[in-house]
Amino acid sequence: MTKPKRTHPLGLIQHIAKSIKDYWYLVIILFTNPDHDSIWFWAILVTLIGAFLIMPLAKWLTLTYMIDADAIVIHSGIFVRHHEHIPYSRIQTVQSKQWFYLKPFKLEEVLIETASHADHAPEARLAAVPITVATKIERYRKAATTTPEATVPTDDTGAVTGEVSGPHYQINTRDLVKFGLTSLIFVPFLLVLLGLYNKIPRSLTDNLIADASHVAAVLLIGGAIVIILVAWLGAFLWTLTRYYHFELTRQADNLVTAKGLFQRNTITAPLNRLQAVRIKQNILRQWLHLQTVQVLLASKAASSDDDNDLVIMPVISAPATYTTMRPFINWLPEKHPDLGKLRVPHSWYQIRNAMLLVALPVALLWWLLPSWGWLGLILLPIAALEGQYAAHNTAGNLVTPRMLGLQTGHFWTREVFYVPVTKIQSMRLKRSVWMKRTQLAHLTVNVRRGNGNQAIHLRYLSATAAHDIYTWYLEQA
Amino acid sequence: MAQPKNHQLPPRIKRIWGFSALGSLVGLLVISGLLWLTYTFWDWSVWVLVFGLILTVIEPCIELGLIPYRYRFTRYQITDLAVEMQSGFIFQKRVAIPIARVQNVTLNAGPLLQWQKLTKVSIATAATSHDIEGLELPEAERLREQIMRLAQEARHDQA
Repeated sequence: MTKPKRTHPLGLIQHIAKSIKDYWYLVIILFTNPDHDSIWFWAILVTLIGAFLIMPLAKWLTLTYMIDADAIVIHSGIFVRHHEHIPYSRIQTVQSKQWFYLKPFKLEEVLIETASHADHAPEARLAAVPITVATKIERYRKAATTTPEATVPTDDTGAVTGEVSGPHYQINTRDLVKFGLTSLIFVPFLLVLLGLYNKIPRSLTDNLIADASHVAAVLLIGGAIVIILVAWLGAFLWTLTRYYHFELTRQADNLVTAKGLFQRNTITAPLNRLQAVRIKQNILRQWLHLQTVQVLLASKAASSDDDNDLVIMPVISAPATYTTMRPFINWLPEKHPDLGKLRVPHSWYQIRNAMLLVALPVALLWWLLPSWGWLGLILLPIAALEGQYAAHNTAGNLVTPRMLGLQTGHFWTREVFYVPVTKIQSMRLKRSVWMKRTQLAHLTVNVRRGNGNQAIHLRYLSATAAHDIYTWYLEQA
Repeated sequence: MAQPKNHQLPPRIKRIWGFSALGSLVGLLVISGLLWLTYTFWDWSVWVLVFGLILTVIEPCIELGLIPYRYRFTRYQITDLAVEMQSGFIFQKRVAIPIARVQNVTLNAGPLLQWQKLTKVSIATAATSHDIEGLELPEAERLREQIMRLAQEARHDQA
């Protein structure tokens, strides 16, 4: 029996940082109240000290943890005491985050998640603990989940966890740069910048155009290009620091990913807890034949990754995907399987739906701004193309008698899912009376993801094929 | 394995739906009353009130009118392996939930359902939750027992 321990004093920094993140607006209120004699000024100042110093200190003082043989026990809370018991067999992911300043002290932050639906926070968050804690938890977890008669995969040599015992992958600089450059996360940055541009007073831009109408066009286009480049570069650098030295390792029955420059983020996920594998390509990566491989987990550990799903392979050339990934996840197919069974016979319906969806805003725009309304018309062909894209990329089939492969296309992003039948939580078949005549049906496959549901929708499929998959599920399950 | 039977909901559920439509009427009447107040005291447009009144008349009528349709096309079936639910004709839906995936079964009954000795059954998986709108109490209990028994047998701890 161990005694409850406090986390390292450096954990205080983490608590303070979190307080500042949550209550930063208090500082602004303080600065907008320059009147030092006002009672409000002092009230806010006291609250500020309370929020940024006393609260974190109290939190740090009251949080104690204990790594027992059968569970992790965490006591926390100032006024209301929480006692959290997490049995090892219920752990979904163990995540450790190491900020650069914790490294010399051999400390890290440890977050533990179970499959419970408690939102917003991991079940356990230990701000700064020795790096031996995570290994210790892992050892206990392994002991708890391995029954004597269960055969562990062949590459389990009985090595102490923490040592590399299986296949290993480390990203090289070229791939990292490729990944950063083909990321489309610059688009949201761009939208923000464009939003700011709209805020420029009309009189100013009008003057500009009147004064220098011959250079205005050049200025506008040049400005746009600069804005795009800045957004792109920002996104590139951001991706670079986040995925710096990305590593994927298989340790016995776990997948371990590690990444990050300033903060090293290590996530350990048991292989049998993977809900599904997703292979994703945005449009840029489709042209370059690059893919990203992610796994869906019943945990929010990867909430800072793309789409909040754990990235296990940032970028890989499409032909090499399956041969590279199979050593890590052995139930993946050997090559890209034939997903031709579930197909969309006529793309017209999705084209129509997409166009109807934009028709209303376009009509509204035309009505409100008659002189600019025609610009909205550009949206119609884009919508039609999007519908066509979605229809064209919808596919699916049984990869093995116990696994389903599904492909979808949304907003020029293609996703392929591999879901073992045991991880499909429910399945839904939907059709309207009109679709009876056209022999079509929608199929929805529900998979656990994070703390919620990932519904994989395949729309306007041929009815018989969709029904076959549905009956397969009913019989297999 | 016994041949699965396609069950309809107990006929008394229609009465519940009728009362629920009545409830909508009362709720909408209250909202219309509030709109009338805004019209008299805050000079809101009379059209808002008219719109509210039209909605008050139409919505419960539709709800009432659809009851036979809703009843006729709502079905469920329980086999040793799965629960299947079906609803709608114009928009037909079928859901399959394998019993091995069921995490918990909740029986839930509001005052109306209690009065009719019925209960709502919610079947939750690790990802989604599905409702059977009303079942006879013994049937619901039986379903819960069955699911719990099968879930214990098939306890591979999937989630």
